[in-house]
Amino acid sequence: MSQTEFIEKGNSLWQDAFYRLKKNKLAMFGFVFVSIVILLAIITPLIAPYSYQEQNLILGAVPPNGDHWFGTDTLGRDLLTRVLYGGRISLMVGFVATFVSLVIGVLWGTIAGFLGGKVDSVMMRIVDIMFSLPFILFVIMLMVVFGRNIFLIFIAIGAVEWLPMARIVRSQVVNLRKQEFVEACFSLGFSKRRIILKHLILNVLGQIIIYTSLTIPSVMLFESFLSYLGLGIQPPMSSWGSLISSGVETMEEFPWLFLFPGVVFTLTLFSLNFLGDGLRDALDPRASKD
Amino acid sequence: MALLEVNDLRTYFYTRSGVFKAVDGISFDVSKGETLGIVGESGSGKSVSSYSLMGLVPSPPGKVVSGTALFDGQDLLKMNSSQLQKIRGKRMSMIFQDPMTCLNPFLKIGFQLIEPLLIHDKLSKKEAMKKAEQALEDVGITDVKKRLNAYPHEFSGGMRQRVMIAMALITEPELLIADEPTTALDVTVQAQILDLINDLQKRKNTAVIFITHDLGVIARVADKVNVMYAGQILESGSADAVFDQPTHAYTRALLKSIPSRFEKGETLYSIEGLPPNLSKELPGCRFQYRCTQKQKDHCWKDARFPEYADLGQGHQVQSCACTAEYLKEAQK
Repeated sequence: MSQTEFIEKGNSLWQDAFYRLKKNKLAMFGFVFVSIVILLAIITPLIAPYSYQEQNLILGAVPPNGDHWFGTDTLGRDLLTRVLYGGRISLMVGFVATFVSLVIGVLWGTIAGFLGGKVDSVMMRIVDIMFSLPFILFVIMLMVVFGRNIFLIFIAIGAVEWLPMARIVRSQVVNLRKQEFVEACFSLGFSKRRIILKHLILNVLGQIIIYTSLTIPSVMLFESFLSYLGLGIQPPMSSWGSLISSGVETMEEFPWLFLFPGVVFTLTLFSLNFLGDGLRDALDPRASKD
Repeated sequence: MALLEVNDLRTYFYTRSGVFKAVDGISFDVSKGETLGIVGESGSGKSVSSYSLMGLVPSPPGKVVSGTALFDGQDLLKMNSSQLQKIRGKRMSMIFQDPMTCLNPFLKIGFQLIEPLLIHDKLSKKEAMKKAEQALEDVGITDVKKRLNAYPHEFSGGMRQRVMIAMALITEPELLIADEPTTALDVTVQAQILDLINDLQKRKNTAVIFITHDLGVIARVADKVNVMYAGQILESGSADAVFDQPTHAYTRALLKSIPSRFEKGETLYSIEGLPPNLSKELPGCRFQYRCTQKQKDHCWKDARFPEYADLGQGHQVQSCACTAEYLKEAQK
């Protein structure tokens, strides 16, 4: 008998984590739902039954029916189409702004944690100072001064959200830095850049993924808040936030205008949060309750 | 000419509670194919001296305050980080104490093994993998193809230590520093690992600095021995000389406390007390506070420290009052 038969096929830590994630039904529901939403958002231009700005003033607001599954708004625009397009914007804001915050936060946190000492102190004090600034006012001012540009929203939200990410990553890296394998990396003559990019970030990837999956919904919520204030996405474009805010105004006469985007938005947020929780339990089994 | 010549190396740690002189003026050399054992109890500065050579002393608070370490004629202590990077992992490498934490848990063994080759030798991935297979076979791991695709947590402690050794030796370094490579392993594996290092060393003519607190291990592998205590070398010389004619009171006490010298039921001999606080001024002999041969006032009044008496054939010992006394008696 050859020796190979005694060696079990190994699982990587990722495979183990995926296995645990698959067992978590709520997280899998979240995963499936989010996937569907993302898929729909991507193919929206192909499947949307109407144009998002096509008005039909004679039709006006009608409740859901065979032609308009989600009904129409006061200007006679098809709500399903607008929810679909709104999803595109909301998701885009969620993902792009999170990505911006991810890149800044992870690099900032790893560099601070890795270099330590004075560099670390200065970098983290900057984070503390930025944390204490009233960022919502800052974002609102930015919007007022530079106009309501969607890219500005990305940047503005990303600039707020990277702060906790930087803190989380830094605290992880400070711990990892003391581990012998980092010293081993040094002793093998690896450059600092290589150690940070190839070895350290990989080890905090679990935490990064978890936090990212929880940041996306909070960013989407923040965007809807801005839209609610009238500072976010401008008509005729829509985001879920702006749809909800205009739906609220006519909630008593035309409840479906508020209900549909509200339900879709809430379900998506729930799903993202479930998925995030599931990922946390899967990637860091010690933190889970059972 | 020796491959590595260390002269008057001093590494201090600047902390809030004072300056700790972890390594305080040590000198030694290692030649190709030779094994130097550094022995001493915890906190004697064994590891810090090797970390200093590798440029791994955490700074702050640590700092190499003086000394030279000529590696093939170049001073390691004066190199900038990019020069050091070229030497570390290529011409000199290190095996660490705890094999459980020395490998990156998220990367496959194969990738970690070939990384030094990709960086230092600029090999292609394919060539590097071939070498990695050979390296794993060299350290006695079977079924290497599968092992290369495994993660560290699938390996036992002894196997991880083998992987670490393979990794340290894959670029065929001229100098290997082994910092207590067997301390975390059980005795049977320990013996295998020692043989393995010895074997690889002979084949590749590597110089090895072997750090341990286990005198048995030193006796087995070392050609030369440095006995360290409180940041200084108290006695050094060929392994035969130091073990056959231990001269310093500390070396004698150490050898006396080896458990195998005792009958069952007999109380083990131990050196009373703890090593001195290295942040204090320590005039005279550093071992005087625990020395049973203490010559009353002579030990700390002696202002010649550290001065070494040559006992011939490279056997050197710090000449404290009790050593002189001991030598006088031995001559009679």
